[in-house]
Amino acid sequence: MAFLEVSRLTVRFGGLTAVSQLDLSVDEGALVALIGPNGAGKTTAFNVITGVYAPTEGHVRLAGCEIGGASPHAISAHGVARTFQNIRLFRGLSALDNVRAALLGASRAGWRDVLRGAAWRSRERAGEAEARALLDELSLGPSADARADSLPYGEQRRLEIARALATKPKLLLLDEPAAGMNPAEKQALRELVAQLRRVHGLTIVLIDHDVSFVMNLCERVAVLDHGEKIADDVPAAVRRDPKVIEAYLGADSEAGAAG
Amino acid sequence: MSRTGWARLAGFGVALAALHFAPLALNPYFVTILARIGIAIVAAASLQLVNGFTGQFSIGHAGFMGLGAYASAAFSVYLGAAVLDALGGALPAGLARLLYFPFPLLVGGLVAAAAGLVVAVPALRLRGDYLAIATLGAGEIIRIAILNVDSVGGARGFSLASDVHPGVDLRFDSLAGVYGVAVIAIAAIARLVYAGGGLAFRAVREDETAAESLGIPTTRVKVEAFLVSSFFAGVAGALFAHSEGYIHTNSFSFVRSFEIVTFVVLGGLGSLSGAVLAAAVLTAAPELLRGLGEWRMILYAALLIATMILRPQGLLGQRELWPLSRLAAPDPPSS
Amino acid sequence: MDNLIQQLLNGITWGSIYALIALGYTMVYGVLRLINFAHGEVYMMGAMTGYYTARALGLATEPSLGGLALVLVTSMLACGLLGAVIERVAYRPLRGAGRLAPLITAIGVSLFLQNTGQLVFGADPKFFPALLRSEEVWRSGDVAVSNIQLTVLVTAVVLMAGLEFIVQRTRFGRAMRAVSYDAPAAALMGVPVDRVITGTFVLGSMLAAAAGILVGLSNPKIEPLMGLMPGLKAFVAAVLGGIGSVPGAMVGGLLLGVIETLVTGYLSSTYRDAIAFVILVLILLYRPTGLFGQPQTEKV
Repeated sequence: MAFLEVSRLTVRFGGLTAVSQLDLSVDEGALVALIGPNGAGKTTAFNVITGVYAPTEGHVRLAGCEIGGASPHAISAHGVARTFQNIRLFRGLSALDNVRAALLGASRAGWRDVLRGAAWRSRERAGEAEARALLDELSLGPSADARADSLPYGEQRRLEIARALATKPKLLLLDEPAAGMNPAEKQALRELVAQLRRVHGLTIVLIDHDVSFVMNLCERVAVLDHGEKIADDVPAAVRRDPKVIEAYLGADSEAGAAG
Repeated sequence: MSRTGWARLAGFGVALAALHFAPLALNPYFVTILARIGIAIVAAASLQLVNGFTGQFSIGHAGFMGLGAYASAAFSVYLGAAVLDALGGALPAGLARLLYFPFPLLVGGLVAAAAGLVVAVPALRLRGDYLAIATLGAGEIIRIAILNVDSVGGARGFSLASDVHPGVDLRFDSLAGVYGVAVIAIAAIARLVYAGGGLAFRAVREDETAAESLGIPTTRVKVEAFLVSSFFAGVAGALFAHSEGYIHTNSFSFVRSFEIVTFVVLGGLGSLSGAVLAAAVLTAAPELLRGLGEWRMILYAALLIATMILRPQGLLGQRELWPLSRLAAPDPPSS
Repeated sequence: MDNLIQQLLNGITWGSIYALIALGYTMVYGVLRLINFAHGEVYMMGAMTGYYTARALGLATEPSLGGLALVLVTSMLACGLLGAVIERVAYRPLRGAGRLAPLITAIGVSLFLQNTGQLVFGADPKFFPALLRSEEVWRSGDVAVSNIQLTVLVTAVVLMAGLEFIVQRTRFGRAMRAVSYDAPAAALMGVPVDRVITGTFVLGSMLAAAAGILVGLSNPKIEPLMGLMPGLKAFVAAVLGGIGSVPGAMVGGLLLGVIETLVTGYLSSTYRDAIAFVILVLILLYRPTGLFGQPQTEKV
């Protein structure tokens, strides 16, 4: 049984079919890419997996458990975390607070915090230490107290990943993590993603529309076009697939790099 | 507790004592203004929790204040004498009165909080403009409903000095009491927001979708904020009822809601000290500058417009003044 | 039965007033996504302007349809100007500043106008001059229609028809619809967005002013705070019909007027003002986009 199992997923908004009969199987520990031209339905698929939308038809199962239609914070409790195509950091908060907020998740003490007893103090300290460790891991240590929206673009993207990792997910969904990056930055990101997967034992699905970015990184690539899956194979095979090439308008693999 | 802790507590004690005896020395008019300032502070601090810290734009706050005012007044009028007697048995009169007053305040707060829950659960499904109008509507419905309840006076207003208990004075003219409550309210809200769990409120404010994706139960967070906020609004209303001695629903219309929103916005959405400061200054200034009279609201309004155009973050933006800025940071880890 | 018909008639009369005011709210929301809380005060200004104009022209002593028309036009023009000024001074600087700042500013403008009105006009109520001598125009059994009611209805219908014509058949109307749909795209297509927005305010304010005059005719007691409740209720009517939709505002206004009158007549008059808010809350809970509105989805 696959870790993440999307079966015959269809998503319709009024008259528009964003995703049609999508089947996707991701094994535990795998690193899979979901690619396709703009508007192919990739983010919509992510949105369904993370609970932002409910499936119109079809199922989404995580480790056998049906999560289609559940609320985002319930799905988060199942161990799913994501980053967003258009960065959605807590802009007015510091980088540290962004990560600490994620550590809250479902475990908020609320009223008990008002009293600030010894238990609160040690919880705060542990939380802060954990947050700083995550920031360090993503090379954001020095920026911990800076406002999230004052950080350079690359750091903001890494911060979003740090924040997602703070929820201790088993499945990490990265939506266009390399958007707007130059080749050197993309290389660094590739190494970072591979490393995170090893260190945290993650299953990762990432979206990108730059075929070359995913080539040396992912074990498998699924390609969406107009809501339908048109290919699902190892990178080398997908790159040569005529349907994929046609979907990208016959341009070469650098076509999507405009980001 | 550390030495500074004791010193602070002693400082508070002195301040409260001063406030307690101040009415003897001051012109009664000033006493009234000081009381109104304290009440405005509680109202503004409570609204800041929802509007400034959780980012939900609520403009029906006066409705909860009104509920608190009327519920506490009804409690005092109909049950007050009985409770006082029960307390007064073994204690000197002054002490009995002191022990009595938490009761109507709590009643006011709890009733308002219950209403807050009823309003919050459906209303918080809405966002932005729609939420604002829904809260406006809720505030007005509450006001009109109270207006139609005869046992609390209806259109004639409601007085604490009623025939039900002739001779017993249930007014609460202790400035120390008002400001003691204000300090408790500010401290509670500050701790709620700036303690670790309170980050959830601000996360919801910054980006609800992202917060939800991180496992933060955003609806529950918003409802919590609403509950605490309406509780303290009710307490503010109760304080108002007991210091003025007479209330009318006209004091709790959406105009009053707008006034409180003005405090919060001008002080800075997201700054508790800003809200407190703005509430104090904007309540005091027009009273002291008596000549202003009708110009008070015109000035308010002009100030509001000018601020939104020229300095939309208000006076303090999201920063806090001492001592709240210290409260905002957790104690440093021992290393 | 006769009573019912009379109530319906009254309801439609009031409803058309609400509709006229609601149109201003809905059009401004359509082009700016702003709830113009100050709109109720423009309605009040319309009534006040009419009052002073009528007195200045000595029309109080010689009621006439022509006099009424003159007062109507003057008031509409004056308030159209007021609307343009408000937009230019208070809202335009905040274009692109998010949704919250303009909302708060709108509240500020509303407070400002109310209190300035109290200062300038005096807080005491005034009596709108009787520009038409009230007489019964039609009667059947217990149902009576006065000439004033008829005037209100006809004027409202004419104005609404005029607006519909502008919106559907003129270039300006087309531009307005384009800006409501997608302002940046409209700008790119050469639509003068600023002028369209100002024009929208002018149109809405003119209708509100007309409503003020019509109310002055039928309920002569006017005062500076008279815009609060009708303003809020007209807003509810706009939401009921679907905020942003012109036919929605018309239908919403009529519906609200009828429901309010019927409930007041048959159930209780003390809860009259609450009805609108109850409708508001129900609409927001069960169908926030209103009767004719378009659902809006947020892109994640």
